[in-house]
Formats: sequence, C-alpha cells, structure tokens
Amino acid sequence: MTDATARPGQQTEPDYRAYEGRPAATGGRSPDAVNAPMIRHWCEAMGDTDPAHRGPGAVAPPAMLQVWTMAGLGGPNAGDGSRSGAYDELLTRLDESGCRAVVATDCEQRYLRPLRIGERVLFDAVIESVSPEKRTALGTGHFVTTRTDLRAYDEARGEKPEEATPVATHRFRILKYRPAARQEQAGSGRKPPGRRPRPVVNRDNEGFWAGVAEGELRFQRCTHCGTARFPWLPGCNVCGSPDWTAEAASGGGTVYSSVVVHHPLAAAFDRPYAVALVELDEGVRIVSNVVGLPPGEVRIGLPVRLSFERCDDELTLPLFRPAGPDRLPELRVAVTRTLIVAGAVATRDYQDVHHDAEAARAKGSPDIFMNILTSIGLVGRYVGDWAGTGAGIGGIALRLGVPAYPGDELRFNGVATTDDSGQLTVSVIGSSDRGNHVTATVAVTLPAADPRTAAVTEPGRGTVA
Amino acid sequence: MSLHRPDTLGGRAAIAGIGATEFSKDSGRSELKLAVEAVHAALDDAGLCPQDVDGLITFTMDTSPEITLAQAAGIGELGFFSRIHYGGGAACATVQQAAMAVATGVAEVVVCYRAFNERSVHRFGAGLDARSPSAEGTAMGWTMPFGLLTPASWVALAAQRYLHTYGLTPDAFGPVAVADRRHAATNPAAYFYGRPITLAEHRASRWIVEPLRLLDCCQETDGGQALVVTSVERARDLRRPPAVVAAAAQGAGRAQEAMTSFYRDGLTGLPEMGVVARQLWRNSGLGPADIDTAVLYDHFTPFVLMQLEEFGFCGPGEAADFAADGGLELGGRLPVNTHGGQLGEAYLHGMNGIAEAVRQVRGSSVNQLRDVRHVLVTAGTGVPTSGLLLSGDR
Repeated sequence: MTDATARPGQQTEPDYRAYEGRPAATGGRSPDAVNAPMIRHWCEAMGDTDPAHRGPGAVAPPAMLQVWTMAGLGGPNAGDGSRSGAYDELLTRLDESGCRAVVATDCEQRYLRPLRIGERVLFDAVIESVSPEKRTALGTGHFVTTRTDLRAYDEARGEKPEEATPVATHRFRILKYRPAARQEQAGSGRKPPGRRPRPVVNRDNEGFWAGVAEGELRFQRCTHCGTARFPWLPGCNVCGSPDWTAEAASGGGTVYSSVVVHHPLAAAFDRPYAVALVELDEGVRIVSNVVGLPPGEVRIGLPVRLSFERCDDELTLPLFRPAGPDRLPELRVAVTRTLIVAGAVATRDYQDVHHDAEAARAKGSPDIFMNILTSIGLVGRYVGDWAGTGAGIGGIALRLGVPAYPGDELRFNGVATTDDSGQLTVSVIGSSDRGNHVTATVAVTLPAADPRTAAVTEPGRGTVA
Repeated sequence: MSLHRPDTLGGRAAIAGIGATEFSKDSGRSELKLAVEAVHAALDDAGLCPQDVDGLITFTMDTSPEITLAQAAGIGELGFFSRIHYGGGAACATVQQAAMAVATGVAEVVVCYRAFNERSVHRFGAGLDARSPSAEGTAMGWTMPFGLLTPASWVALAAQRYLHTYGLTPDAFGPVAVADRRHAATNPAAYFYGRPITLAEHRASRWIVEPLRLLDCCQETDGGQALVVTSVERARDLRRPPAVVAAAAQGAGRAQEAMTSFYRDGLTGLPEMGVVARQLWRNSGLGPADIDTAVLYDHFTPFVLMQLEEFGFCGPGEAADFAADGGLELGGRLPVNTHGGQLGEAYLHGMNGIAEAVRQVRGSSVNQLRDVRHVLVTAGTGVPTSGLLLSGDR
C-alpha cells in the first residue's frame, strides 16, 4: 500500500527526489584486489565448490560482486572516502525524519565479464531514485535505489587505473523506514501459521487419504468397464458398476488449468498462490498446487511431478512440482547461526543484526538474520551447481521476502526457461516454513555443447518474473 | 418434463406479479423480514392478497422456511411447498415447479421467493473453511485443502481453460461487464445506478483470482425478490399483463458437480446449460433468432460467454467476438441483462433477473426494448441449473 499524500497535522514531507541523479559514491576503489583467500572464505560460507574459483587462473564467483566494494568493519566513511556528501545527507535526513531502520529489499546485478585474481575494482554509484513514502509490512518509509558501475584493471600485471574496463553494473534497493509498532511475538517471532482447510474424509474416499498417508496418490478403476476415475465415488459413472480397485498414480502429470488466487487469501497462504487442475498421466484430473516456481508461471501444459509435501504438523498433501529437464533439483540449506555469521563476515557485512542477537532484538528483530549478500551468494551457488563449471552467469535479479533466522531451513527450487531470443533464465525461489525468503531470476549461458541448451524448453510462453 | 420428448407445460402458467425490496449492502433487518416484504410487494403487483396464496417455493439455501414465511406474511393453509437445491441454479426452477403445480391444479397461486443478507451477514465471497463429510461436503472437500475456496476461484479454473482453448486473454470478459454496468447506469433500482464502466477500467481492476478481475465478479447484496405464478387464465384477470411461461427446464450434465465439475470434458462450456437449452428450444419450438432479449446469469462474466455458446447464439469459442463492440448492449445483436445483471443491479441469486424478463414482456423495463415477444432467462451457472422462456400473451 502506498500513501504519498501528507496527512493533516504532519509537516509536508521533504522532497527527496532532489537527490535523484546525484552521486552516491565517486571514485570508489576496492580495499583489496580480487584475491584467493577472500574467494575461498566466501565459497566455504556459501558451499560453492566450483573448481573455477580455485587455483591458477581462478575467477571470482559472479555473485560475490558486491563483496569487493564493501567498506568493511570501519564503516563507509572510514574507507576510501568515495561515499558522496549527497548520499550521506539523504540518509541523515531520512534518519532525522524517523526512518532510522534500514533493510535491503532487492538487487539486480549484470555481469559483463569475470573478475580475475589480481584485479582491482573501481566503482562509481548514483542515487537512481527515492520513492515517495510507502507503507510496507515492516513500516512506513522510502525506497532508495542506487546504481553502481564497476570497472577493474589488473593491478598485479602493472595495468594502470585508466586501463580499467567495465565488469558489472549493480542496482541495489534499500528501504529506510520507521518500524511499524511490533506486536510481541512468541518464541522466534514466527507468525502463527494459518492452517489449510482439512480434507473432508468419509467412507467413500477414506482409501484415497489412506494412500496419501502411505505416500501414494490413488485413483479408482472400475473393474467392470476399466474406466479410471477421480474423485472417489462408490460407483462408476460410465457403467454403474459398484466394483473397483485402487491404483497408485505414477506421479507424472500436466497442468490442465490453473488460477492465481489473490483475494481473499486463506489463512494458510500469506501471498497470491497458484491452484492447478492437474491431469495425471493415467488420464484422471485432480485439483492441487504446483509449488517450486512463482504462481504466475504455473501455466497450462506445464509438465509436473507428484511430490508429497508436509503442510503442517497434521497435514501432508499430494502437491506437484515442475517436471522435466527444466526443473533444477532442490537444494536444502540449514540456516544455522554459524552460516548467518560466516556469510556476513565472508561478504564483509558487519551490520550488527547479522551477528549480534541482542542488538538484533533491540532493533525489533526476533534474532539475527541472514544478510542479502549471503542470499545472493546462495542463489548464485545453487544455479552455478546446476549450470556447471563451463557455464556463464550473466546476471542476477533478486528480491527478498521473509527473513531467514537461525533454525530455518531454506529450500531452493528453480525452473529454467528459454525465451524467443534463446536466453536461458533460471527462476529461483528459496523458501522456508515462513514463506518465500528470496525470489530471483538468473541469466545463464551454458556451453554450446551442453545437451541442456537444446533440452531446456519453455514450459509456457512469457517473460520470467 | 422429459429429456427425450417435448413436455406440455408451455402456455399454461404465467408470472402475474413481481416484487422486491431495495437492493443494499446492509438491509438492517432480518432475512425473513426481507422475504415477507418481497412477497407482499409481488402480491400487490399482481393485485392479489396473502389469502389467495396456496403454494410457496424457495431455495434450499434460503433461511426462511415456507411455513415461517406464511406465518409472518398472513398466508394461511398451504397445499404445495417445495425448495430447490444448488444455489442460484434454483432460480428458474422455482417458476418451473410453480408452473407445474398450477398447470396440474395442485395449486392456484404459488409465490416463489428468495431473500438474504448476503453482503452484511453471510458473504459467499469470503470462502469456505470446512465442510461436513456428507457426499456433498466431500465433493467440495477435494479442492479445499489446496486453497480453492471461493466461487471466483471455482469459476476461474474453468475460465482459464476457456481462454487457453480459444486463444483469448482476460480482456475477452470486459464487454460483458461493460454491458451490465451500462444497463445498470440507467436503472434507479440498481446499486450501480449512474456508474457505468469502460473496458479500460475493467482491464485496470485488480485481480481477484486470475484470470478474473474485480469487475468480472458480481456484487454481494442484501435484499429479497418474489414472483407470483398462476394460471394464464387467472393471470389475464389480474392487474398486470401475464408473462407466459412458454417453456421451463432444469439441467444437470453427466458427471455434474456443484461448482467443481473439473473432472469431465474440456471445461470450455456449461454442459448443464446445454441440457436446459435443448429442452427450452424443443418445448417452445423457438430458437435463438426468436429471442428479443436475454437475462443470462452473471455471477462471473466468463460464464455469460459460455451461455451464449450453449444456447446457440454463436458457435463454440465465438462468444467473445459476439460480445465485443456492444453486442450485448441495447441495440446490439442480443441485448443481455437490461436491468444491469448481478454485476450492476444486484446479486439476488438470479431471481431479480426473472423479474426483469417479466418487465421486458410487459413493456415496463427502464431499458425497455421494442416489440419484445420472447425473453430467455437462465439461472445459476457452474451448478445444476434451470432456464425459462417467457412470452407475451397472444
């Protein structure tokens, strides 16, 4: 919800748009040249095992981009002095207006070439936009978007700064906000999970739900005329016979129709969600959900595969996930305190909310939480694992959702699509029981000989969100 | 009546009176009170009094039993009473059963009624969260755990397949909404009186359940509507010109469900409405070309398109073209829902649409068409349903 109008009794809000186009950083220079130890620490924290990041001729992981320009423990003004007066002034004015809290919301990185060991990174940043006042779930504030242009030159080989060539652009959006009055939440701050409506079970369909409990999706088949049927009924609509057997579905299917529910959102769903009518390979249809890709991408014709998913302590349901060569295997990452802290340190992010639980609580967070640079790193590693060592990552666009706290498990799922121009894009969702932590699209170039280059076909037309 | 042979109901009964309460978002009174007011208004319109009534029919979903309505409305002994199931699918069937009762002499004056506080008390659009393990509850239970809980979501699942099959976009539904709202704009009884919409506004309205937008969905309404049915002979002696029941039919398709018929055929039509259409055409000897105006049940716009196809006003997949460029508006190919429909006038489970059909036959609609002889009315879509052909008395 947005509300850009001044309310009576409040001062007219300052026009922050005057800052748009002014520099955020000028003549920035990475504190360190690209180097093997920092790459190794980062790879260890993210679990990235790509050999391209080791040994002679190593290149830095693309998703590590922002780490090279991070100011470090001393803060932005103790570094190279590149931070502009305009940016400091904007942040100060936002602080003074009460928008003291800050959270990174999304970023967009485009990689022009790999960074090699020994290269020094130079950067300039501009304040691209400052939004009108917006109301968000966190609180009311302003989104500030900066764009950073990065260049690099090979210091180790004696190149001069003037010889630096473009390596990447980086758009980064933060929300500076007044925290919303926070309701005291029990335990870890997990919102009480809404429960899905319960299955309706009676004598006629109990065999289906018994099958679900045993990990089978069972349909009925008439023993008289052989017609497969679903939903479960005590007789056959084709021939009227009361005799039937239950068969377990093979698990393959295709989306026959689908919708995205926006309103009203049932208690178990805190954001728009897709409901699909899936036609099983055996010819019967069932209403279910397709999970593991954004709801807008659940399209008619999408091949899907059965997957039993635990929804709450009492309910496991037969859901579906995208099937076929365009679906990436799931990656599960246990979010430990160690991972959060190691990720923050490996990305040179010393904000206290990422390592100091007391400080985090003082700022209204139930615990420390994962920083966005680690989320970027995990997405980069997930797609990199799938793409393989010869592949190129052209860019990552990423949006953060619910935070990741110690004790969470992040489950990464991805679907690859190729658009009309041949660009391969992987859509990634990293979710926990709280909801989606990160939604990202990653542009990938596979080696020409890779069979997946041909095998990956679009599951449904349209751009990837 | 029969699926296989013409029946003998046509021309024997008529709607002699119509009456409604105001249509609001908060009536401020009980559903029973609304029902009584609507029944009295309809009897008044016919020039009859409560003592003349010997039959009552409503919906199984109605909360005002026939006996309680009679008690509170000054109606005495009842020789015929009935309730019809399947939500809005009951609407035209109340008139059908009333007509059967008067045609056979089972009753002389039957009042059909429907009243609810659907907006202020029990919003259908709020969705389900539990159902009992009856056969009916279990049928709905197959979709509930997956979050398919509201009428909009049930309709959207079929609508998506329709769009896919015929290569259309959700904009195809816009002309239906625009026609309804244009007609409501000149109807003082309509909630959206004076508030027409454009295709651009339809396109800009927010998603409810993709591919349905807010302006594809009907209103939620508090109100009541009643209809008085008697023999054509008796109706001729009453205050208003009779709207003769030329044909009436119910319909359920094979493997029919109530709102969740997802497991049969191609999801691009409404087979139960096809059953109704075949009977209406055969029993009346009329066809699509004979219809001057239609009241097509419009809780959600996609099913209006499918009904145009089921009744043969156009071929399968052609309804979006049929509806485009004002095809459903006054002066169009087939003026539809001249009262504003359930999107524009009020959501009264289809009963207000029957009243509009009666007005068109009488010549008293606020959006009156010229020389109306035959009007088609349909009841709830996506459920077992019903339909009527009403004609002037010749």
